[in-house]
Amino acid sequence: MKSVTMKMLCRFLIPAMLTLSLQTASAGIIATDQAAAVANAQPDRTLVLAALERNDIRDQLQAQGVDPADARARVAAMSDLEVRTLAGTIGTAPVGADATFLALVAAGVLVWYVFYRK
Amino acid sequence: MSATPTGIGRRWLQWLALALSLTGCAQFVPQTIALRGDWPSGVPRAIELRDVPFFPQTAYQCGPAALATTMNAAGAQVLPDDLVAQVYLPARQGSLQLEMLAAPRRHGLVSWQIPPDYSSLLSELAAGHPVLVLQDLGIGPLRQWHYAVVVGFDYAAGDVVLRSGENQRQVMPFTVFELTWRRSDYWAMVVTPPGVIPANATQASYLPALLAFDRNATPQAARTAWQAFLSRWPGHALASLALGNRLYGERNLTGAESVLRAGIQTHPASTEMLNNLAQVLAEQGRNDEALGVIERAAAQPGSFAAEVATTRAGILQRMAR
Repeated sequence: MKSVTMKMLCRFLIPAMLTLSLQTASAGIIATDQAAAVANAQPDRTLVLAALERNDIRDQLQAQGVDPADARARVAAMSDLEVRTLAGTIGTAPVGADATFLALVAAGVLVWYVFYRK
Repeated sequence: MSATPTGIGRRWLQWLALALSLTGCAQFVPQTIALRGDWPSGVPRAIELRDVPFFPQTAYQCGPAALATTMNAAGAQVLPDDLVAQVYLPARQGSLQLEMLAAPRRHGLVSWQIPPDYSSLLSELAAGHPVLVLQDLGIGPLRQWHYAVVVGFDYAAGDVVLRSGENQRQVMPFTVFELTWRRSDYWAMVVTPPGVIPANATQASYLPALLAFDRNATPQAARTAWQAFLSRWPGHALASLALGNRLYGERNLTGAESVLRAGIQTHPASTEMLNNLAQVLAEQGRNDEALGVIERAAAQPGSFAAEVATTRAGILQRMAR
């Protein structure tokens, strides 16, 4: 029980600290991300949430077979908005893929074309 | 596609197009129909970007192949194999749209989802930008998502030209292409080097693309991108702040100052720009000026009261030394 609580706490605190340290990288300057979050009517608190969502997406990418280091770099290239959009849809969003199925359909069309068209 | 002789594939597409044009069902291809009466201005009737390279896809990897095609056209030197680890999802054997947008940023390029219509697609091509599209090549209720790159069109002949799968020059009627493209809600993106703004970009739609690019960009690439944005839309608040921050990061304090001043002229009540300008002035040793600016910031009701207070305290500290 205690370790679960601790784990939860750490899951929350570590990204929070990372986020805050990023945001206050140069004292006296308001960072672009910070201003953008406010411009989008998102209070500072959502920065922490965004860090948690990033971890979540990273885990989901790994669950889809992506190498852990790659998953981290892939999430880093996304904007907060993209991370939020992707949350929960990784397993269902369209994925552009190969045309193996198309080859089957084309074969079907070919049969139709040759034997039934006339 | 490999199992399908090109000639036959093309013939059945023509058949389908014929069937469609006979039934005249505008609801199937609304945008093709709309083009008849409303051709986008300034766009020629035929274009083909012949120099766009071609990377044939290997199993399941149309995402990396299509991405490499557009990225190389935008000046990056990258192979599909390099992109597999950046966009491919092994468990789903494909690539997500959002990751297609994210990956070019890691190579110093700006990606942007264009408005979902033929007219935007055609005008991007007219501006020399190949367009990466998501198609559904499935039949009926079955879905077969596929990424391809549109590199040209010939309206008189009714053809759209694509780099697709293993096909270096796939020609598809406008109608058939629309049918396959429509199911992705006309999803399409362009990739440009920083400093080149896509033909259909608007201030509001392009800003998020640059903010996302800014996160991972090198200082110089980010600076180039924001400078182009500001010369198109001068005085934009967030863009001025972003460029100011990049110049500040490079210790170009006078550069940052002039960008912020220009931004403040358009947005006199911007707390964040006033705050950052005050800091930039203070670091040049111009503490009196800095104090005046930060007082203006402190007088604004805004979200950055804590930051402004910190900056102000810092300036007072400098003055006391």
